[in-house]
Amino acid sequence: MPVRWSRYNPSYLEPEVKKESYERPLEELSEEEREQMELKTVRPIKAALPTLSSSVFSDPMISKFTNMMMKSGNKVLARNLMSQTLENIKRKQLEKYHKAPENEKDTIECNPYVIFHQALKNCQPIIGLSSITRGGKTYQVPVPLTDNRKRFLAMKWLITECRENKHRRTMMPEKLSQELLQAFNNEGPVIKRKHVLHKMAEANRAYAHFRWW
Amino acid sequence: TQTAKSHTGRAAEHSDNSHLALQAKHTEQHEGRLYNIPLEELSAVFPHGLPHRFQQQVLTFNEARVMVRKPALELLAYLKGSNFSHPAVRYVIYGERGTGKTMTLCHVVHYCSRQGWLVLHIPDAHLWVKNCKELLQSSYNKDRLDQPLQASVWLKNFKASNERFLQEIKTQKKYMWGKRECTEEGRPLREVVEQGLARVRSASDAVGVLLRELKQQSHRGSFRLLVAVDGVNALWGRSTLRKEDKSPVCPEELTLVHNLRKMLMNDWSGGAIVTTLSQTGSLFKPSSAYTPQELLGKEGFDALDPFVPIPVPNYSPKEFESCYGYYLERRWLQHEKGQGWGGKRGMRVLGLELVSSKWAKKLDKLNTDFCTHRDAQSFAVPSVSLQGPRTFPPCASGLISSVCPCTPRVST
Repeated sequence: MPVRWSRYNPSYLEPEVKKESYERPLEELSEEEREQMELKTVRPIKAALPTLSSSVFSDPMISKFTNMMMKSGNKVLARNLMSQTLENIKRKQLEKYHKAPENEKDTIECNPYVIFHQALKNCQPIIGLSSITRGGKTYQVPVPLTDNRKRFLAMKWLITECRENKHRRTMMPEKLSQELLQAFNNEGPVIKRKHVLHKMAEANRAYAHFRWW
Repeated sequence: TQTAKSHTGRAAEHSDNSHLALQAKHTEQHEGRLYNIPLEELSAVFPHGLPHRFQQQVLTFNEARVMVRKPALELLAYLKGSNFSHPAVRYVIYGERGTGKTMTLCHVVHYCSRQGWLVLHIPDAHLWVKNCKELLQSSYNKDRLDQPLQASVWLKNFKASNERFLQEIKTQKKYMWGKRECTEEGRPLREVVEQGLARVRSASDAVGVLLRELKQQSHRGSFRLLVAVDGVNALWGRSTLRKEDKSPVCPEELTLVHNLRKMLMNDWSGGAIVTTLSQTGSLFKPSSAYTPQELLGKEGFDALDPFVPIPVPNYSPKEFESCYGYYLERRWLQHEKGQGWGGKRGMRVLGLELVSSKWAKKLDKLNTDFCTHRDAQSFAVPSVSLQGPRTFPPCASGLISSVCPCTPRVST
């Protein structure tokens, strides 16, 4: 029986979960999309992951971040921490908003999702380092990063920062919300780490020709 | 003002900036509307006693808004019409978890303190029967146990809320605190309270003296006494405390509980007793229990009998609308989908039983993830596996819905 993590036959297609993609009228679709729809009527489709949701409130980035925060399969805990983090961000921003004078109210962003996405974007490095061995010595060579790798690094740095550099008694949502707000404003330890990486890459420009891909 | 800034007209209908002089005139037409308590008054009237979620909301929105609901209006009507020369009537507010019992109690406490009553507010009786670090043997009665920490904390808060009464009311008897210190007859009650705060060992006895004096003097009519106890079922249940020889402690062996039980008897006049049942902090009670019979047990029910029961239901559709409008106005609903017709309709169409006090938390949880009934039905993706429409178990988040076939998700 085809289950998600069994090896599917290559003919199986990915499931489309978003409601909006099915509500578009036929005329709007371009040629490839029409062909894709024809294909879906004949080909079998893989089972959807349990974490995949058709809800308007689900966000793939948030799900990915939650999975990375999860330890030993405890998704319940990871998800609760994530929702508490988002609530914390919202509370802090709303407190600032309601205390601010009228002219400053527009500048304060209260939507936790917007803050989360912007913070992640601010933390993403542009260029990375890769170790290449030539003649017995290993060099750190500056290398372009794919989008996936950038997103992964940003999330990884955020989580490691929050796990390691906090007081024993501070809760994770508290610390994470603090870090996300700092990253949103382009300050804080994670942004610093990104800048350090950029500087190292700049310093090692001379070895850039070692890269062969 | 906030009503002027609201971006939907809905909020202007539902929030009411009426100053508290009008609070006495709250009637059925005000049901579902929210009234404002100025923050200075909040810290004066409620040094303790507000639910934690509400306190967080006050900090976030920078204002305290309480919704006027039917149970509270009913209680206020009874209090306004009661005869204070008769023995004190006992009111028991009960309901399921998260429906607003503590908030109703706080509404009544606020009303009474505005009217000039002396309010004896015990924020949570469960705190007196569990997690007590220090238990001293009482000097007054060898069998009983004192709780210095809990008593001193309560005395501090009581003093903060009722300053002027403590100056006016005088003691009627001479009290000895240990061998050397004593409070003479005719001294203001303030001295008793200060004695309790200064000598923490005698704090529980100070509380007992305070309760006794208030009970004896309330029938004179110089002040009206409101005894407000949250989680009254703790007084007649079991406790998790143990004596030094590891034998369990009955609640009546605690001085604080013993004196409070005497206060809750209806043998005094000149005031009222408003209590709330609470399952959340209770010990050894199942989580589905909410009726007075279940939570008070036989002993408690007989002690409190006769009482006026006041059930508190979940939000009615009108109250839901009002609350939703308020949250929209205060920008609590940030997700763009949650604000529109789809999100709100989704919450209603699902037939969810909205739990009042956990509303903000649930809205957020809903905001992060739920699927609408309409979504699931109109959605013909062959691969998304749906559970059977009527076999859905209640969500772990506590929302009970009969209609929602959620996609199988790990966390709910």
